[in-house]
Amino acid sequence: MSDILSILVSTVVLGSIYGLVALGMTLIYGILRVLDMSQGSMVMVGGFVGWAVMTSAGLSPWLAIVAAFAATFALGVLTQVVSVQPLIGRRGTDFEMITFITTFAVAMVLSNLALQFFGPRQKNVPELVGGSIHLYESVSLPYQSIVMTAIALALMLGFALFLNRSRYGIAIRAVAQDLDAARLMGVPIKRVFPLVMGFASAIAGVAGVFLATQYFASPTAGDQPLLIALIVVIFGGLGSLQGAIVAAYAIGLIQAAASVYVSTTWALPILYGVIVLVLIIRPQGIAGRSLEARL
Amino acid sequence: MTRRPTPLQATFSKPKVTISAALVLLAALVPFIYPSTYGTGVLVTMLIFTVLNLSWNFVLGIAGVWNFGQLAMFAVGGYGGGLLIIHASLPPWLALLAGGIGGTLLAVLLALPTLRLFGIYTSLLTFAAAQVVQLVIQNDSSGTTGGALGLPTVKGLFESLDPLWATRAWYWLVLAIVVVVCAAIALLARSPLGLALRTLRDSAAYGSARGIDPRGHRVLAFAISGFVAGVAGALYTVYNGSISPTVMGLTPMSIYVTMIVIGGLGSITGPIVGTALVTAIQQALIDHPGTQLTVLGVVLIAIVVFVPRGIAFEAGRVRDRVVRWMNEEEEVPAGPASPEGRLVAGREGT
Repeated sequence: MSDILSILVSTVVLGSIYGLVALGMTLIYGILRVLDMSQGSMVMVGGFVGWAVMTSAGLSPWLAIVAAFAATFALGVLTQVVSVQPLIGRRGTDFEMITFITTFAVAMVLSNLALQFFGPRQKNVPELVGGSIHLYESVSLPYQSIVMTAIALALMLGFALFLNRSRYGIAIRAVAQDLDAARLMGVPIKRVFPLVMGFASAIAGVAGVFLATQYFASPTAGDQPLLIALIVVIFGGLGSLQGAIVAAYAIGLIQAAASVYVSTTWALPILYGVIVLVLIIRPQGIAGRSLEARL
Repeated sequence: MTRRPTPLQATFSKPKVTISAALVLLAALVPFIYPSTYGTGVLVTMLIFTVLNLSWNFVLGIAGVWNFGQLAMFAVGGYGGGLLIIHASLPPWLALLAGGIGGTLLAVLLALPTLRLFGIYTSLLTFAAAQVVQLVIQNDSSGTTGGALGLPTVKGLFESLDPLWATRAWYWLVLAIVVVVCAAIALLARSPLGLALRTLRDSAAYGSARGIDPRGHRVLAFAISGFVAGVAGALYTVYNGSISPTVMGLTPMSIYVTMIVIGGLGSITGPIVGTALVTAIQQALIDHPGTQLTVLGVVLIAIVVFVPRGIAFEAGRVRDRVVRWMNEEEEVPAGPASPEGRLVAGREGT
């Protein structure tokens, strides 16, 4: 009983954080056809911004979340302008592969700059809110987890509303469905693309603050979330938003269950094994639509 | 000199045997210019990675299969060779071959699940599989692989020589392997098999319409590159006398991908040029280890944006232009002066 409860609690927390990172990745892929490998670095940068605002400057955690959002938004826009925009529509290169490589290069640069500036030591980041609710025997639910889950869900919901209702959201979906038609209808591609990558990165940055409060802020803090987010987006089907969110909780559940019943060191290999199986059995992920017409 | 080129000649430039032989000879003399054990050792490591990058470039650049799990083959070759040296006391020469066979087996195993996938999904599956291999090696508690600490083996080759000459002997050995691998890949790329692979890369639909079996060829490309990567891994183990799981993972992968892309993805000599260049950058920044990856990342983006086909290709173009300029009086060049005949000819329309 307490096993099951603690699995459920960590499923919700892990799933929400992974969901945020994976949401950004799948959005960028759906619209730009870029598998953005710099999303892990955005998580890492978000963690450091959170640490700087909360610990160094001693300001409120809410301000840290806003600051991380703003900083990673700017960084995401910059990444798009430097490493993706110049490659769009270039003949003779495979856009998906070459942007996979350039965003990877951005990730390399960012994590090593962080290493230079902040050093390799892990930085402790205080909790957003203290206290916890006692659930059952040894299982308790920290308020922190509730707050994080709530913010994550609110962000996902807000994003869905933004995409479905707002002018820019509709423009973004139009671009995802048919680039040329969207262009003909007057959608400003050069503004939409950086905006998408900015928003996606900003969400990853917020997830980074959450992760840093759970673990640490460190230059390698983005590696594991990036790998997990990759697993999540494959599982959910690249480019599918609903698929990514469902998959994030499913992956969180698998990881939590594997940690409890097998061991924490084998949780990640088990996840990769699951994902290899998913790709063999159902290459298009659980969302199950063809590669086109996502979102 | 106005002989009409046959279709095959139009597709391939002639192999430059004389120039290549001169360059190899020059490379063989390098240990005498650099008479230190450390410097030669750096060059040996560079050449081992050149073998790895040649194999990776074959599957990634020439066959166009997005295999980002090549380091798994490298590690399996390295660990397989090392374990056989320890437990079966295999001579190191045979361990190299065993490493190659291990790499081939894993490559075929890895190729099978990717047959239904294309593009980015292939890269994710192969990358995930490589992560599984790394984590299994790292978390192994039975003591077979030595876990995160690595697997110490015995140094097997050139032990009787003094350190400097042993390193030099290693240098010549690995140089010879680089030459053989490079020549083999160049020949393969020019053979009907290579033509089929590049056709499938540039237009899978056209290739299969012409009767090329995409699945069989993909498995074959994996197997060939897996063999070479396995040999490279075994070389690494035998040379260093140990191997650890840190040869895999995100950071090593990013360095090797940088080497291949800077040199020129899909060109024969690209990996050699790229590996040398990146090693030079790393050595130049050896006093500032933190800046290495930052500089490499910036260089990589700059190369992709400004020199998209890599340094080897651009160098070839400059040379072609010089040759054309020298031949100008004799023959009138037909058609636009584009390097359409080169092996690295772009992937239009994908």
